[in-house]
Amino acid sequence: MALEKRGGNLYYYRSIRRGDKVRRVYVGSGELARIAHERDLMDRAVEEGRRQEERRELENLESLAAPVLEVGEAATVLARAHLVASGFHKRKGEWRRERNLP
Amino acid sequence: MSETSHSGTSGTLERYALPPDVRERLGELRDLSEKAQDGDKAARAKARRDLVQKLRESSPAVIARASDVSRSAQHMLIGTAVGGDPLTELALSGRLDMLREEIAGENPTALEVLLTEQVVSCWMWLQLLNALMSAQFKLKLPDGVKRSPPSYVRHMLKVEESAHRRFLASVTTLARVRKLQANTPGVQFNTQINLGRGN
Repeated sequence: MALEKRGGNLYYYRSIRRGDKVRRVYVGSGELARIAHERDLMDRAVEEGRRQEERRELENLESLAAPVLEVGEAATVLARAHLVASGFHKRKGEWRRERNLP
Repeated sequence: MSETSHSGTSGTLERYALPPDVRERLGELRDLSEKAQDGDKAARAKARRDLVQKLRESSPAVIARASDVSRSAQHMLIGTAVGGDPLTELALSGRLDMLREEIAGENPTALEVLLTEQVVSCWMWLQLLNALMSAQFKLKLPDGVKRSPPSYVRHMLKVEESAHRRFLASVTTLARVRKLQANTPGVQFNTQINLGRGN
């Protein structure tokens, strides 16, 4: 976004990205330029607030999930250790018991 | 957007995390399990003997601590899901107890108790995500609930999908352990796990 002052007049351009290219699109001049600029600033602030709220929500969810994941990891390690200690091994994605074990 | 605020999410609280010594023991068990499946026959046999010894020393403490953390996590998830309604909290807590009893069966081993806790925790986590997301798919949203933008909903659906996969994996692990360890001499140890509520 750019509010430019040239020769005593205000001109407002929006930057719009299409793929890799960024185009400057003329919006208007004078009072219209100023209003459009302020409107865009407000929209941008609202959008940023919304993103922050989403980030907080996701952080909360992550911290809720953390103990579940940790216990899951512990259970997986222990289950595997017990199976291996009991004489099993994983072969081609399947657990098999080793031969010649008591 | 749904609220997920709850007490104790800022920073890792001690009761919701495994202590460092338990993590260390888990790391050792993981390494020994890998060694016991690699190398020649003699090396595997030695690693297995070490693993059996290590399990005898570490397993009871690790299982007891992990079960405690799991219970605490379940209560935290319940607290978040019910949003302060004591009746729903009681009902959900009772539902988890029933689920736990049903899955663990009669005379579960200590490992089965831990795997049951894992299944119950994953189930509760999935229910919470379902509850948070369900409002977003209603045609008419309840008063005070705003519709989340598609990017956020997409992200949440991924989280839900991952929770679902984790839940299925936990059920598979429990079933596998039961199937494979039936009629197999396992590693014997005794451990006490507090099955009462109030974590």
